[in-house]
Amino acid sequence: MQSFFQTLVSGLSFGAVYALVALGFSLVYRTMGLVNFAHGAVLMIGAYVASTFYLSARLPFAVAVPAAMIVTGAVGLVIERVLRPLENKDFDLMLIGTIGAGTVLDAVAILIWSSSGRGVPSPVQTAPFDIGGVRIPAYNVLVIGVTAAAMAVLTLFLQRTRHGAAMQAVAMDHEAATAVGIHVGRSNAISFAIGAALAALAGALVGPMLYVTPTMGDSLGIQGFAAAILGGFGSIPGAIVGGLGIGVIGSFAAQSFQGYSDLVTFVVFTVLVMIRPTGIFGERTVNRA
Amino acid sequence: MSRRPRYRLVSAAAAAAAALVAAACSAPGSSQPSSGSTSSGAVAGPIKIAVVDAQSGSESDLGQFEWRGVKLAVDQANAAGGIDGRKIQLTLYDDQGDPTVGTELARKIASAGDIAMFGTAESAVTLAMAPILESEHIPNITSGQSTQLLALHSPYLFLNGPTGLTYDSTLAKYLVTTKGYKKIAMLTNNDSYGAGEDEAFTASLKSLGITPVATEVVPADQTNMTPALTAIRAKNPQVLFIGAEEAQSGLIVKQARALGMTAVIAEGAPAGTPLYMSTAGVANANGTIVSSPYLGNDVSPAARKFAAAYTAAYGTAPELHGAKAYDGAEVMIAALKACNACTGLALANAIRAVHYAGLLGNFRYNSSGVGIFATSIGIITDGKIKPAG
Repeated sequence: MQSFFQTLVSGLSFGAVYALVALGFSLVYRTMGLVNFAHGAVLMIGAYVASTFYLSARLPFAVAVPAAMIVTGAVGLVIERVLRPLENKDFDLMLIGTIGAGTVLDAVAILIWSSSGRGVPSPVQTAPFDIGGVRIPAYNVLVIGVTAAAMAVLTLFLQRTRHGAAMQAVAMDHEAATAVGIHVGRSNAISFAIGAALAALAGALVGPMLYVTPTMGDSLGIQGFAAAILGGFGSIPGAIVGGLGIGVIGSFAAQSFQGYSDLVTFVVFTVLVMIRPTGIFGERTVNRA
Repeated sequence: MSRRPRYRLVSAAAAAAAALVAAACSAPGSSQPSSGSTSSGAVAGPIKIAVVDAQSGSESDLGQFEWRGVKLAVDQANAAGGIDGRKIQLTLYDDQGDPTVGTELARKIASAGDIAMFGTAESAVTLAMAPILESEHIPNITSGQSTQLLALHSPYLFLNGPTGLTYDSTLAKYLVTTKGYKKIAMLTNNDSYGAGEDEAFTASLKSLGITPVATEVVPADQTNMTPALTAIRAKNPQVLFIGAEEAQSGLIVKQARALGMTAVIAEGAPAGTPLYMSTAGVANANGTIVSSPYLGNDVSPAARKFAAAYTAAYGTAPELHGAKAYDGAEVMIAALKACNACTGLALANAIRAVHYAGLLGNFRYNSSGVGIFATSIGIITDGKIKPAG
């Protein structure tokens, strides 16, 4: 039983990171109907920027992370501005555009930080909590807490603020939103910026758990994408549940199937999506092509 | 309207697949000529040698180490007059740590007229390239250490260090015979390096009458090692042997310590690198028992001289992989001098005939292409490897 709970804890910890990645995917998708394939690369940039602020500029981790979110939010704005001429015209080109943006970001990261990775020491040096033999690293608790807070803030933003309401309106019917004076381009830009900031948050948080490299966004991006689909693409609570689900499935698959854990994880994922193609929360999104 | 989102997801997947196909079809690797060529021409021109190593991707650190070691030796040889007045011209190719890219590069360097090849740093890539290099009669000195390389029986393939079996038999003997440990757990990954380590260390333990208390395998790209470590922790081992590349090994140690595991960490070459220590964190890496043919830059006058030249050239201190690559390049240079810059099988035979006192030990190649047969035991102390007392 101790082994079961230890595996569950590790799955939830990594699942929290996948959930943050999935949140970014879902936010952009629900607003623009676009899958942002640059999301993993943005996450990687966020991890590098945060680690640079933390390790090189010696800023406190709690300052380095928001600073990285602002920087990558600006990167998101640039990507959206580049893609904006294609909005409502050529959806496929927009998709290719996000792939291109990801490739550019990968190259920029290598130019700035080189292809070598860097280890990031944990900002929380407290000893792990020991509950009945189950060890829970304090940093992992922090990651889960930040993910929960991010979801709450995002939900409040979408439901209680003017810009959030505008984004919701654009998501439901962008032509009607335009007719009532909502600036669709600005709404999309905010969506991209917040999505990028969430990616940066995920990258910054996962840095001390893993290792920051130019390729780190690839696997995290795939896991986050799978989490978003599992939860219901476009759904905010779905992203959280999907992220935790992928994390926990992956963790138990690793325990039982060792070297074949990735295979088993995605077989389970495929079966679940076949049973429920719209994901757990079955979010429906808009057609903006 | 309800069908459009699904259409979009399908379109998104198709677009991603198209991009991947496009990337796969593009010309692989980068080529970066280096060193002092004098003129073009088949005979009077430079001696062209390829260096194939990852310069991008997760294995790029190893590729950088290797490139620097080879280039230092070649620059020194060129500065001393080259081979009968001819300079050696290196061309760097990026294999991305990918065996498929490696096979494409093997054909590319054959058509480019390179007479020999250094690299790769990954056994899997070398295994993929070796048959093509053999058919093209191109000698190759690799940094791979898998015993699967020996099974190819290629007369053109040489290792610049010991095999994994040598690393692991030395390590197992130290752990069991010298230190008296009996409860040993193993955690390896499932790529060719990890599989080789699993096989070699298991065989080494078996020869000493020890059966591992736990044997776990993780995917080579796995980041969450806690489930495997949880299973190992339940067996309460005295020693945790790791068979994985540098960054993943560091992650394993980091997560093992976070779980409260106090077992002694033991590993082969990857644990001797700065990459391992930066990933694990110095505090976690301390105490790691390392089996390596190169226990740091202070172990001999030759190592100190090499380290000084390397540091002057690159502004950073060398480690095992740089030293291995340097030794491999020195062997190649000695062979080229001995046979007057011959090529093909004659060059391969000249390499096999080289007797060279290198940084890793005395090279004497056997028919399998292995030239060095011993490692030493070191212990990481304050972030540096110190010879075990």
